[in-house]
Order: sequence, then C-alpha cells, then structure tokens
Amino acid sequence: MDQTIHRDYHQKKLYIQLIDILKKRLQNGEWLVGSQIPIEDELCKIYNVSRATVRSAILDLVRQGYLTRQQGKGTFVCKKVISEELIVLASFKELMFESGVNYSTKVLSQTIIMPVDDLDLKLNIPEDEHIIYFKRLRIIDNEPVLLKETYIPYHICPQLLEEDVENNSILELLETKYGIKLTKVKGCIEIANLTKDEADLLGLTEGSQALLFTQQFYTNDTVVKYTRTIKRSDRFKFYLEFERREA
Amino acid sequence: MSGDKKVKDLIIDAFEYPHVPYWFTIKQAIMVIKKSAVETEKLAPTVLVFDEKYNLMGTLTTREILIGLEPALSKPEAIAEGVAGMFGEESKKRAERPVSEVMIPVRYFVEPDDPITKAAAYLMIHHDLILLPVVKEKKLVGVVRMTEIFNELSSAIL
Repeated sequence: MDQTIHRDYHQKKLYIQLIDILKKRLQNGEWLVGSQIPIEDELCKIYNVSRATVRSAILDLVRQGYLTRQQGKGTFVCKKVISEELIVLASFKELMFESGVNYSTKVLSQTIIMPVDDLDLKLNIPEDEHIIYFKRLRIIDNEPVLLKETYIPYHICPQLLEEDVENNSILELLETKYGIKLTKVKGCIEIANLTKDEADLLGLTEGSQALLFTQQFYTNDTVVKYTRTIKRSDRFKFYLEFERREA
Repeated sequence: MSGDKKVKDLIIDAFEYPHVPYWFTIKQAIMVIKKSAVETEKLAPTVLVFDEKYNLMGTLTTREILIGLEPALSKPEAIAEGVAGMFGEESKKRAERPVSEVMIPVRYFVEPDDPITKAAAYLMIHHDLILLPVVKEKKLVGVVRMTEIFNELSSAIL
C-alpha cells in the first residue's frame, strides 16, 4: 500500500492524497476506535506536507465522520467507521399525504392467481407459479383516490396471504416482519385509460384518463413485488421520497 | 386397516393445482391450463376457482371450458352430428366470459379428520367429483383425489 505523498504535477492534490492514506489507516484499524490520532505537527513530519494540507485532510475526514475533534484535546477516531461502499437505498413512499389528512383503506382482494397477461415477465417467474394478489382502494373523505394492485410470488412470502393489509403496509411487512430486504425499485409513470372496473371503483367514467404508476421491487436480482397504482388525476399528488442509508 | 385412514393421510397440497379468481375469463383460464401443462405434459389439470378472499368457489377442467365455448357440445344431438360451425366467432365472444359462469361450484368438502370412506369415497362417488376440498376452520388446507383413495382402498383387496 502506497503511504507516500507524490508531488508530481499530474498527481491528485496533496490533501486529497493524504485523505486517502489516512482513510485507509482508519479502515484497516491501525488507529483504534476512540484513540487520538497523531497531532498536526507529527502528521506534517510523517508525510512531509504543510500544516494547511494536514488541516484540510483532517477537516474532510471529520466531515465524512471518520474523525471527531474535541476542543482542546485533539482529534480522535470515531466509534463508527463508515465503510467505503455506501449503498444508496431509496425508500419509496408511493403516496404521501399532507399530515392531518385521514385516509382509510379498503381491501377488495386478497387471494391467489396465476400469471396471465405478462405477469410472469413482470415478476420474472415461471408461467405456472402462484401469485398472491392484493387489490386495495385508498379513500380520503369518503372519496376513493387511489387503486392499488400488488402482485407477490407466493413462494416469496406465503404468510402474506393471511396478513392484515388494510392497516399495514405490505412493504413494511416484507422488510420488518419477514426480513425481506428490498435493494432496488424500478418504476414507470404513464397515462392510462380506465377500464370499466377501474372507473367504477374510482368514481370516474370508463375510458377517462388517470395516472398509472407501475413498480417492480427487487431483492438483488429477484422481483419480490410488482405494483400497479392508478390515481385520480384531479386530486392529490404522487410523492416520491429518496433517502440515502448506510449499508 | 385402510378403512381407518383419515383424509389427512391422503391429502394433496392445493398448490399442486393452478388457482384462478372467479373473474378470470375463459380465455385466461385456457392460458393457465396450457401453461401448467408445459411441466406435466398433460393437458388436464383441474383449476381451482377462488373468490377475492381466497375462499374456494369451484373447479374448472377442460370439459367445462369446452362447454363454455360451445354450449351445444352438451346437447345429445352433438354426438351424432357434431355442431355446424362449432368454435367460430361466437366461441371467441364466449371466451371473454368469467369462469364463474362455467365452473362447477364447490358444494361438498371434508375435514382432515374425516375417515376416507365417508368423506372421499361416499361424496366423490355419489356426486361424481374428481377432487374434494379439505377444509379446516373454513380454510382450505388441501384436496383429496380419487386416485389416492382408490390406491388406498384397493390395497386392502390385493
């Protein structure tokens, strides 16, 4: 491992090189958690750089959470060492209502079906595999606003067939209760013309247009959930929230 | 003795069979049957028909589907003469009807602790059923079939 600073013109800026070197020492555990790192003067000597360079590097490592400065005492290695590979995990909340809005859910279907109409492709399963099918209607102020169909291959989580999905989020059940961690979501937003059944449920006319949001939820390469959400286009918004979480 | 065996000793997992909701069309049921046949190479699985709360409503085989597509097939005249223009445009329209209209509704069922003689043999023969749902506390836990019952009861003779 290269522990020296290079001053060639085409090398990275000095303080960036120093950051890399110090970071590696932290990640390798060369400096124990909670211990004090060498003082600035010492680091200047070890790596033959100016104080300004050392300061910039330390500041950055403090910002990244590897080190912490204690007034009058020195700089210490943080208890939590963050791995270099931060996994960016976006949590989707398909619909967020403004706080104070009360919505209720009506479970119209909770049963088993077979893959028809390309469902086998959307879920990436063989054509003879059973699927748990949920159909739910979200209602605000006695008005239906959202129709949501959820498809989950039965073998992924058979217990979901019996779960209360009126009061619980299927996503939360999967992750929290059944330990199925989602790693990827693929979504598509388009305009759809409502079928008679969809229109009747949403209180609209057949053939009228609505927003259609389809999503595939993955655990690594396996599709664990496919959803098809239709929203009345005259009220309320689809709200997407992305949250960066550590591995 | 075979006669002492219970239904639960011969029970088959309901998931051995395709499951469709009653609103699936005959056309969709045909696709389901054909896709299931790919593995078994037999074109005759029974399809179980459920409602929206996963209650078993009925069964569907190729027989019910064919009659659904061409009702004339169930008339005696069809045997002698065939039916002119069978499976034309009218059949395509009929294929869009829901399977609830052509399925055989489930009326009889047994419980896991029922003896196979009562449950299966009597009910199946008396009502000419291919399979019988096994229900415990209103939940479907499996099915029993004539095949397994026959094997079991006949082994007492051999």
